[in-house]
Amino acid sequence: MFKYVKHTNYPIDIKKKDLKMAKYLLTQFGGANGELGAAMRYFSQKFNMPDEKGKALLNDIATEELGHCEMIATMVHQLTKDATVEEMQNCGLGSLFTEHGKGVYPSDSNGVPFSVTYFAVTGDVLADISEDMAAEQKARAIYENLIEMTDDEDLIGPLLWLRQREVVHFNRFKELYDYYKKLGY
Amino acid sequence: MLFNNQDFDFSFFEIPGNDFKLEIDRNKFVNPEEGFQRGNMICNEYEPYKNYNDLRLIPKSDREQKLLKVMEYSFAITDLNLYLDLHPEDKEAYRLYQKYIEEGKKATKEFTRVYGPIVMTDGSYANYEWINNPWPWDDLGGNLYV
Repeated sequence: MFKYVKHTNYPIDIKKKDLKMAKYLLTQFGGANGELGAAMRYFSQKFNMPDEKGKALLNDIATEELGHCEMIATMVHQLTKDATVEEMQNCGLGSLFTEHGKGVYPSDSNGVPFSVTYFAVTGDVLADISEDMAAEQKARAIYENLIEMTDDEDLIGPLLWLRQREVVHFNRFKELYDYYKKLGY
Repeated sequence: MLFNNQDFDFSFFEIPGNDFKLEIDRNKFVNPEEGFQRGNMICNEYEPYKNYNDLRLIPKSDREQKLLKVMEYSFAITDLNLYLDLHPEDKEAYRLYQKYIEEGKKATKEFTRVYGPIVMTDGSYANYEWINNPWPWDDLGGNLYV
């Protein structure tokens, strides 16, 4: 089960409204390489891990990723909160506003809703974990693209931090992959 | 820095196909403050992006100061937790993990006795405080680290 902790993993404190960045950031919540996909991927795959190391690692990274979903959604919320309808229309958020108002809906930057087809559960330990490694690298690349598109320190700080978590998770998954490979999976 | 390791050889990261192996090194972890700032507790795994500097978090109030401490320990515990999942036999890492859990409990108490619960079971208050603002996604005019 899960217990809620009433703080974000890392502080989010955005002072400047930036609707374009809100639109781009949204994909890291509900897009193909976003945090929701990551959380659900590891959460679903954990049931087939063969030993304690795999069960613990997938469980614990999935849990951390849920916190990252909250960080991204918080950033989107804070970036759009004070926007007028007209400003949203002018920044390409008109169709998003039509469907969701100021709500934060898990979708990609183009408004395509989150889909579980973004990840696989194959029942094969090596196939699943190598997908996890790739997922962390793809998310890292997207954080770097996002960092390139802003000069707001309040955004760059959390984005660098989230990017670094992708690096760490990749390293853990790679270790787990090598460990299972050695065991003959 | 409490823990530092200048002797680590980074070169193996560059060798394609080289088996990734974590060196078990007693000085391999940075302290929670530094680890939290950069998002990585392990000295030799830190990969900065280009020439970007990690944001230096400067608390602007007593509440932020106390919450920052809670978040730092929470992060250190999470990152050591992932490492320990794969290296449960690493006694040095486990000792650190236990130490940060204890210090995290103290930091949490410091915060919750003044500013309300962080998890539902925190503290014993005269009133039901769980619902109180701010919630972590709230934006109170760029004044809060929550």
